[in-house]
Amino acid sequence: MAGSAPRANHRVRRWLRVIHRDAGYLAVGLTLVYAVSGVAVNHVADWNPSRVIERVERPLDLGDVRTDDALVDAVGAALGIDTPPARTFRATADRLLLFWDGMTVEADLARGMATIETVRDRPVLRQVNLLHLNEPKGWWTLVADLYAVVLAFLALSGMFLLRGRQGLAGRGKWLVGAGLALPLIALLLLRGGP
Amino acid sequence: MRRFFAAGLTLLLVCAATALAVHAADGTVYGKGVTLTESVPIADLMADPEAWVGKRVRVEGLVVDVCKKRGCWMELAGGENQPAVRIKVEDGVIVFPLEARGHEAVAEGVFTRIVLDDGLGEAHSHEGHDAESCRKETRPGVIYLIRGTGAIIR
Repeated sequence: MAGSAPRANHRVRRWLRVIHRDAGYLAVGLTLVYAVSGVAVNHVADWNPSRVIERVERPLDLGDVRTDDALVDAVGAALGIDTPPARTFRATADRLLLFWDGMTVEADLARGMATIETVRDRPVLRQVNLLHLNEPKGWWTLVADLYAVVLAFLALSGMFLLRGRQGLAGRGKWLVGAGLALPLIALLLLRGGP
Repeated sequence: MRRFFAAGLTLLLVCAATALAVHAADGTVYGKGVTLTESVPIADLMADPEAWVGKRVRVEGLVVDVCKKRGCWMELAGGENQPAVRIKVEDGVIVFPLEARGHEAVAEGVFTRIVLDDGLGEAHSHEGHDAESCRKETRPGVIYLIRGTGAIIR
């Protein structure tokens, strides 16, 4: 009877190790996605983590062209753009918008200037950010929720994998304490919002 | 084990294909989509905005601009030489893609008045008229926008 508790502990610890190991393997891909994207979106105030947006202003010499169709052709020709726009829009008498896939031109007819804005994805970052920020919604929400559960399990089970001086009763308690203290200190010292 | 992976992969591909098919049918749905059946012309909203404050409205038009940093708003214009209205959505809950510019869209939400000089400038940081980003709007005044709950972009 006295030996049954240690044996049960041993069995639980063995299962924990097996499940922790396989859950860890499963989580590698998503952990990398969230880690890379996490750093990228952390600095959203300083840069656009998903797109490269370039704006160039160029003079427009349209001559006496006045009809909208002729204006669209003339703007394209003046800017050296061969393909016709997918859509055009006369926002005001002096402002003509032209839309291409990945490019928008705003022609200021009064000033005779055009602002060309091109947008392209940052390779890899666009995709990982899309997943991290759950833009697809739908079934990806379930995947992300399951991943969160797996992460919580990895964190909790990790504490009980080792025994003795290397385990939770030894150095583990100090490291877990330090890890818990960090967000608490941040909450005490830092303030977000207005 | 290989069968397990093959079945999982097949399931994923079927889910992805189904999702794409749903998006392709009527455009892409954002947030709660659109439930109202009648659209209010944007020109009518902006001509007499006070009459519409607090009302739930559906609008449709061309997407002429989108928040470049977070996709947290888009501007719809109902017709040429007419004013546009901004559809502001909760950050992260709905993300309008930059690719929406130049596409037709329908959106729904509550028409709202925002007073910019009420001392809550920071809270309005995503709602001002700064087309470049989500920076804090510091100019005093009143703006009108739709607090969007859903949209369909075609």
